[in-house]
Amino acid sequence: MSNSHTGLAVRMQRFLEHWGVVVAFVLLFAVSALKQGGDFLSMENFRNLLNQNAAVGILAVGMTLVIVSAGIDLSVGSMVVLAAAVGTTAMNGLIGAGWSEPSAVISGVVLTILAGTAAGSLNGALIVFGRIAPFIATLGGLAAFRSIALAIAEAGEIRSQSPTMFSALGRGGIPLPFAENSAGKALTISWSTVIFFAVAIAAQWFLSRARFGRQLVAIGANETAARYAGVPVAWIRFRVYALMGAFAGIAGLVQSSRMNSVSTSQLGLGSELDAIAAVVIGGTSLRGGFGRVWGTVVGVLILGMITNILTISGVSPYWQGAVKGTVIVLAVLVQRGSRA
Amino acid sequence: MESQSSTRGGGAVTTPVPHMGVRSVTVEYPGVRALDAVTVDFHAGQIHAIVGENGAGKSTLMKVLSGAVAPNAGELLLNGQPTVLRGPRAAIRAGISMVHQELNLVPTLSVAENVLLGREPTLLAGIAVDRRRQQDRAREVLSMLGAELDLSCAVSELSIADSQYVEIAKCLASEAQVLILDEPTAALGEYEARKLLNLLRRLRDEGRAVIFISHHLDEVVDIADQISVLRDGRLVAQFTRNSAGVLQSADGTIANEDTLAHAMVGRELGSIYPVKGTARPGSDAAIELIEFGAVGRSSGISMTVRPGEIVGVAGLVGSGRTETAEAIVGLRRAAGEIRVAGRTHAFAHPRAAMRAGVAYVSEDRKGRGLHVSLSCIVNMTLPSLDAFSQLAGARLDDVKERSVTARWINELAIRCARPGLAISSLSGGNQQKFVLARWLETRPNVLIIDEPTRGVDVGAKAEIYRIIAALAQEGLACIVISSELPELIGIAHRVLVMRKGSVAGEVTREHLSQVGCDERIVRIASGLSADRQGTS
Repeated sequence: MSNSHTGLAVRMQRFLEHWGVVVAFVLLFAVSALKQGGDFLSMENFRNLLNQNAAVGILAVGMTLVIVSAGIDLSVGSMVVLAAAVGTTAMNGLIGAGWSEPSAVISGVVLTILAGTAAGSLNGALIVFGRIAPFIATLGGLAAFRSIALAIAEAGEIRSQSPTMFSALGRGGIPLPFAENSAGKALTISWSTVIFFAVAIAAQWFLSRARFGRQLVAIGANETAARYAGVPVAWIRFRVYALMGAFAGIAGLVQSSRMNSVSTSQLGLGSELDAIAAVVIGGTSLRGGFGRVWGTVVGVLILGMITNILTISGVSPYWQGAVKGTVIVLAVLVQRGSRA
Repeated sequence: MESQSSTRGGGAVTTPVPHMGVRSVTVEYPGVRALDAVTVDFHAGQIHAIVGENGAGKSTLMKVLSGAVAPNAGELLLNGQPTVLRGPRAAIRAGISMVHQELNLVPTLSVAENVLLGREPTLLAGIAVDRRRQQDRAREVLSMLGAELDLSCAVSELSIADSQYVEIAKCLASEAQVLILDEPTAALGEYEARKLLNLLRRLRDEGRAVIFISHHLDEVVDIADQISVLRDGRLVAQFTRNSAGVLQSADGTIANEDTLAHAMVGRELGSIYPVKGTARPGSDAAIELIEFGAVGRSSGISMTVRPGEIVGVAGLVGSGRTETAEAIVGLRRAAGEIRVAGRTHAFAHPRAAMRAGVAYVSEDRKGRGLHVSLSCIVNMTLPSLDAFSQLAGARLDDVKERSVTARWINELAIRCARPGLAISSLSGGNQQKFVLARWLETRPNVLIIDEPTRGVDVGAKAEIYRIIAALAQEGLACIVISSELPELIGIAHRVLVMRKGSVAGEVTREHLSQVGCDERIVRIASGLSADRQGTS
């Protein structure tokens, strides 16, 4: 219904509601490039930016689906550490039992993702069958899953016993033909970045073009109406939390292979808030029923870029939280209009 | 505290200064002129009904009167003085209160707290609520309405009818002299509706100006002292009750349901009910209920519906009609047996019912029937989504989705220019057609329709009746649940009357064609014998 009657201010508001996140990204990018020039614009910096944010990005993509269904998952950071602890411990055990490195690493990878899925399924079961509000059920998970990981490692670090393969997974990638890093070696797009984008593209497809996504939107927009329309509400909601767990498992894998170890007290700590922030900045409504994965990806990059530029500029890390917080609140204000 | 004395006697009221009025009021929205130079007077001690099709401008006029919308041109008069209302709070201060269709009550608060919301009597210089005075004042106001409600009961526990009393009590507590009600009887059954209309009469007799919107033309003719008909934002007809008690327009037309409908639509509607077809003789039951019921709400219901048959279900609100229907499709716990096409089923959820060919269209279109924030296409295909799935659900066939939506838009004559827009942009009638279409797309053999025309204007009503009749002719078995007796009598082959969770009686086809069958249904629904004593 936009026509000549619609004022400029109204049209501007609608534009920002939809494209605000992209505008913010471009502005931030331009400011960073102008202020820092080469340091910021180097391929190596971009590579690091993506690498450092891939794990949170994967969580944020899963979180988008959960939030579209009008749910929330506070336990993602703890699922990351639990999945990584279970997978790495199992891998070490298998290597110790004399398995060949490839089969032990593959088993470790599979078990990491399975452990995440199991934790997510537990969340889903509590929410759907136990009829516990998602906020409460996953708040329990936030405390419990990390506690189990701490118990497994006696609050310490689990070092990978895989001599080369596991860390190659975390540090390797696809070499870029024309780019070199500061040391003169070929620059690579890391596997973690590749996984992040693959997961994001798949999730965006499923959200906008597949039956599962349509049903998630219907549940998020009005759960009762979805039930009346014959949507298998319980099953879909269970699946989205299980899927979130699988994503957390993948994020755990990305992190543990990059570090080649799992710090049970630190890994994934607080990443649930980063993931939720990225989703909100990306324009997905916390009330459910509307969401977009691409917005979340841009949200992740914005959050990463803020940390990146503040670090390059030498701003104290103590102040970075304040800047991030301001950006999150601003994003919600701009997009408030009809949705968020 | 009454400022004007009521002078009602023979029905003729000629108060010289209208209590409230609008003069050449025009309201424009982007691309639409919702009100076009409308001039109406509202007198104290009168009931003024506003009728019109959906989109005729009724709601906009109410919004102007209650201060929610400022007119682009024209003025608002209060006691003869031009007035500008800056927002609903200003209107309430000026003694104008509006009862919205979606009641504005706080469900978790008690009856007493809701009645005095925002005007709580306080203690200790305003830092604490004086509970006792709150209760006393609430009781006083509610007794003025003749309503007996538990003051400490949470509003969420009340029926819609009782919640409405609380809402009206809230208006009275604010000393409202002008009371505006938007379709107050839409969610009520016959009996509750009558009670409410009597209350409106009482408020009028106490000297208040009562303005109400209704789609029920019979009650409008029954109760109104003045009727204004809006069409496309213009005032097209006005009827005033003369000294003989007859509602007449300036050119002498007498108001009845037909003349009102004619004025609203601007063309002859003919009979809004289609010719009744016949159920297929001798065919087996499409659906059969045996000693069926919704646990805790209804029981012992046995009924059979054959292909091509339209069975009406009447009963007061709370008689268990909706709950029974919900139990059939698995939305509630059920007891007893359901047979569909001869086979026994127990549906765990609507999806299972759908697979067996049983569809249920909810009475609550906005809350349960549709996803108002989603597009027409998404709403259209949601129940039958599996039929649009490819690659095990990994892809939805959007071309097919669009073409199927376009086909139903065409088939049911739905006015919908852009199916990609949110369905909330459509009128109630067109939304209702979409609800029907989405369930017909699941190819049901049994269709249960709960309140098929609630909140739908006359023109769309007639179309929906035609659609239902045509579907029955094609062999669909229909169960129509409705609080509107004329509708049941007009389209059903026979009517079951429910009372307190079981079937209290049945009105056969022969009885339905007789005069007085509506009274018969009401008598059964109220627990009286079907025939009045002395007559048969």
